[in-house]
Amino acid sequence: MKLVMFTPAVKTSAIGRMTRLVVRQLLSSQHEVVVVRTESQHVSATELHDFGCTVLPWEDDSQITREIESADCCVYQIGNSYEFHEGAIAWLAKAPGIVCLHDFFLGHLFFGWSQGRREEANRVLTQWYGTTIAEEYFQIHDGSVFISKTRNEAPLTEWISSMATCVITHSNWGCDRVLAACPGPVFVTPLAYDAPGANDSELPATNSKLNILTIGHVNPNKRVESCILAIASSPSLRANVRYRLVGAILPETEKRLSELAIDNGVELIISNEVNDATLSMAIREADVISCLRWPSLEAASASAIEAMLYGKATIVTDTGFYSELPDELVLKISVENEVEDLKKIFLSLHSDQTSANVLGKQAQVWAQATFTAQNYARKLEQAVPAALRANVLLSAVEHFSSIIEKWSGNPELLSTPDMLQPLSVFNTNTIV
Amino acid sequence: MKIALCSSFMPFIRGGGRNIVDWLASTLTEAGHQVEVVYLPELDSPPDILFQQMMALRWVDLKAADRIICFRPQAHLIPHPHKILWFIHHIRTFYDLWDSPYRDFPDTARNRAIRESLIDVDTRAMGEAKTVFTNSKVVSERLKTFNGVESEVLYPPVFEPERFFSAGYNDEIVCICRLEHYKRQHLLIEALSYTKAPVRLRIMGTGASPDYGIALQQKAQLCNVADRVIVEDRWITEEEKVEHLSQCLAAAYLPIDEDSYGYPSLEASHAQKAVLTTSDSGGVLELIQDGYNGYIAEPTPESLARAMDKLYRDKNVTEAMGKNARQRLVDLKISWSQVLERLLA
Amino acid sequence: MKVLIVNNMAPFIWGGAEELAVNLQKNLVIAGHDAEILRIPFQWEPSTRIPSQMLLARTLEIANTDHVIALKFPAYLVRHHRKSLWLLHQYRQAYDLYDAGQTNLPPGQHGADIRKAIAHADNESFAESRHIYTNSEVTRQRLLKYNGFDSKVLLPPVNDPEVFTGGESDDYIFAGGRVNSMKRQFLLLQALAKADRRVKMIIAGPPESPADTQQLHAIIEQFGLQDRVKLDLRFLPRATYVDYVNRALAVAYIPFDEDSLGYVSMEAATARKALITTTDSGGILGLVQPGETGWRAEPTAESLAEAMSAAYESKARTRQYGEGAQALWNGLGINWPETVEALLK
Repeated sequence: MKLVMFTPAVKTSAIGRMTRLVVRQLLSSQHEVVVVRTESQHVSATELHDFGCTVLPWEDDSQITREIESADCCVYQIGNSYEFHEGAIAWLAKAPGIVCLHDFFLGHLFFGWSQGRREEANRVLTQWYGTTIAEEYFQIHDGSVFISKTRNEAPLTEWISSMATCVITHSNWGCDRVLAACPGPVFVTPLAYDAPGANDSELPATNSKLNILTIGHVNPNKRVESCILAIASSPSLRANVRYRLVGAILPETEKRLSELAIDNGVELIISNEVNDATLSMAIREADVISCLRWPSLEAASASAIEAMLYGKATIVTDTGFYSELPDELVLKISVENEVEDLKKIFLSLHSDQTSANVLGKQAQVWAQATFTAQNYARKLEQAVPAALRANVLLSAVEHFSSIIEKWSGNPELLSTPDMLQPLSVFNTNTIV
Repeated sequence: MKIALCSSFMPFIRGGGRNIVDWLASTLTEAGHQVEVVYLPELDSPPDILFQQMMALRWVDLKAADRIICFRPQAHLIPHPHKILWFIHHIRTFYDLWDSPYRDFPDTARNRAIRESLIDVDTRAMGEAKTVFTNSKVVSERLKTFNGVESEVLYPPVFEPERFFSAGYNDEIVCICRLEHYKRQHLLIEALSYTKAPVRLRIMGTGASPDYGIALQQKAQLCNVADRVIVEDRWITEEEKVEHLSQCLAAAYLPIDEDSYGYPSLEASHAQKAVLTTSDSGGVLELIQDGYNGYIAEPTPESLARAMDKLYRDKNVTEAMGKNARQRLVDLKISWSQVLERLLA
Repeated sequence: MKVLIVNNMAPFIWGGAEELAVNLQKNLVIAGHDAEILRIPFQWEPSTRIPSQMLLARTLEIANTDHVIALKFPAYLVRHHRKSLWLLHQYRQAYDLYDAGQTNLPPGQHGADIRKAIAHADNESFAESRHIYTNSEVTRQRLLKYNGFDSKVLLPPVNDPEVFTGGESDDYIFAGGRVNSMKRQFLLLQALAKADRRVKMIIAGPPESPADTQQLHAIIEQFGLQDRVKLDLRFLPRATYVDYVNRALAVAYIPFDEDSLGYVSMEAATARKALITTTDSGGILGLVQPGETGWRAEPTAESLAEAMSAAYESKARTRQYGEGAQALWNGLGINWPETVEALLK
């Protein structure tokens, strides 16, 4: 088959990295793929993933239209960043296709899109969440309040799902909203990911401490404070744990966390942003990776998968995607008892130094077999005909919507029970 | 009972698929029922417009009827708590003719998706029916193969069969049906040139274009049998049909792979005449049994010629087969009383 | 041309519009065209279904057709490149009946949405039609007022003018048509009681309810009119009705404020019969010229009695009025050949 794959292409995009794996797998299975980069114009295109096929910019209307005409289906990689996925939304509206949904919470994506489109954005909010929420939405100015308030009330999952003919996502926890909005089938499949830096080369001699690592932008949702407090609560941990942060950090955050660590006698290393090689080394040097997230907004965590692929014991918050990981292969922390649970786990790992390694290796075996491009590509092969079938029905409904629109009719005229009930014989919406 | 008969139609194309509906309407009215005939137009091509038409059919409200009977596709989509299908054929280009030159749209991923969705929704719509009847075993088999649906064969009778009678057996084999290449009247003319007996041929009917009729005349000339062949390319009245069938030696009907037995073979049987057909005529073979009420030849001129000679020479056998033809109709329960009994059960 | 007449269908209900469509078809064929009638089931209860019925009509694919004549909402929403409207009915519950508070549309936003959709859909269809005709001046006025489209009034002709031969009179005044309080046959009887003793009447037609029948009988009793009036209250066989008209001295038709001329008046004029009506009868006044074609009375028993007596005063004059009525009627050019020509322009 021939697919047009809409995705971020810059090297800094984890979604781009994942898509590259899948595209290469598809190409090796003799499918034809054309990639369309979806980043906003201001995102520098100097370093791109190597997909192994033609890559077009999303603004190239005529060429992309031609490709779509001769393709079986369009596939859209969607995550919660407007600057990475601007092109995807633009084309999804014109050419419905399969959406690979990486985040259930799409508030930031929506916010970015809504600039200069306030009326349309209000319509979307009203349609899915009612007038009250629509009115309040743009009054929120605090970033974390935005997340905490809207993630439950108005996550915008429905907005993107309703434009897709089919959704592929990577865990079950957010599927209710997807199912409520997606007119076609919904598939859940493990994310495809790799860990090229995880090799078995000998490490330089490490210290005898328990090395804990947190990777990525140091945001409150990574629960760094909780880790520091957990270490601080035990003299034995204070003496034997080294906690390292690798990833971009704001100066004020760095100052605050450093002070917290010093005040509590915790050894904290803040490495800021590093290059790939250094990051890879840091992971290999670690004994355990903290992939705590609260709140958890993604469908699947590339970091947690990567940590497992590196063969590292991984600590996760018992929520969302992480809850669906096998209990015996990761270390789950409850949100209510975060610091207590962390303390217990750190102590346990410290008392049995080999346990981290054993757990890590078990997780690695499982992750290597599960989060594969092969599985993902096969799911796509299954999803394409299902999406096309859903599109048959969508096109027919579109025929009616456009007539109603010409008659200046309220589109809700089409959604009364006596209009919809006879059409239920066409229903194909399922989770597969 | 209040009964609605529902079928798709093409404006100004009459006969064939409409006869079954219109004749049933008359018969039901005669039997004292209130009948409403619902004919709605439908285009099956291009594939893109198919589903919107099907969805529109779901909004047809016939609750005023006690039951509805649906015939030509996609009428079976019309909802009703007591729906009965008398299914005469699928949209065949999406079904058994997908891999044939009759499919006039390309085999793209999109059209394949339309096909899969069509088969799926057809199956579900058929599942809504209380009973599914078909007009032949051929169609029943297709329903089973493609939709997994069980059905009962209910053979469609001809209107006022008592009009047909036998007045004797002359030397003519008549073929009264549409003049089209797939009805293969040309094969009969070719066969005539191989016959040894002075049997004659009368071909009557008209087609979508005059081309085939002209070709038949030319073929008769080319095969040197023009003096024994009459080709009448025009609309034949019911009275003419009855008259010629009453007098003929036998009838011929050999369409290629037809869905059901076809009215021509039925009419001939009512007129107590044997029917000459071929082994690849499809549903005709549900009616005609070789040596009993007709001959089933190979679709070659030589084989047909041998059968035509036999019909001429062994006249008492030919006449006996004509009597059997009537009996066959009784055995297969091809009658309006049977139709009413099953549809109104 | 292949002309498709498109109308609504209320399953198992057959009325004036259905009759009109059949007569239009018949006369199209007489004019040399091929004509069929497409009847699209229409369910307007509950009113929330109406958008689906509109979409149904709009989605049907009409092929193999040269010209479409559509008669009612939502049937006239069908798409065709060559479409004319002979507007018998808009959906009045979205227009004048809505204003009068007599609608089945839901209150509030939903009803407003449906009204808007109907108005826009109507306007779209009106704009895409070649010509718009209405069957009465009232319909024309409504269309102009609510949708801003002008139209030509095209009155439905008498369906079988050739049978209204008129001729010798049997000295009675004939009052035909449906019997109900709006048609005011009771007033004719009250007038009869005050008229010249020579005046006789035949009142014939289907009564709307037993109360209507009783009312007439009561008046006859009250005034002892038994030997001067014959009541024939039922749905009359056509031949009977035609005979009543042909042998009348004059024809009386006095409905209250009726839109159209009324078949009774048109048929009477065709049969060369003088007309008696009242000043508030509406459409029929177009046919009744005092001193030329008949009498216009006040809607009182006294005034009507005068007119009825006058018909007997000079039978020659009455016959002359009958000629006048026919001449006036013919002058209006309301006949099927001209109607067909207009609809196909």
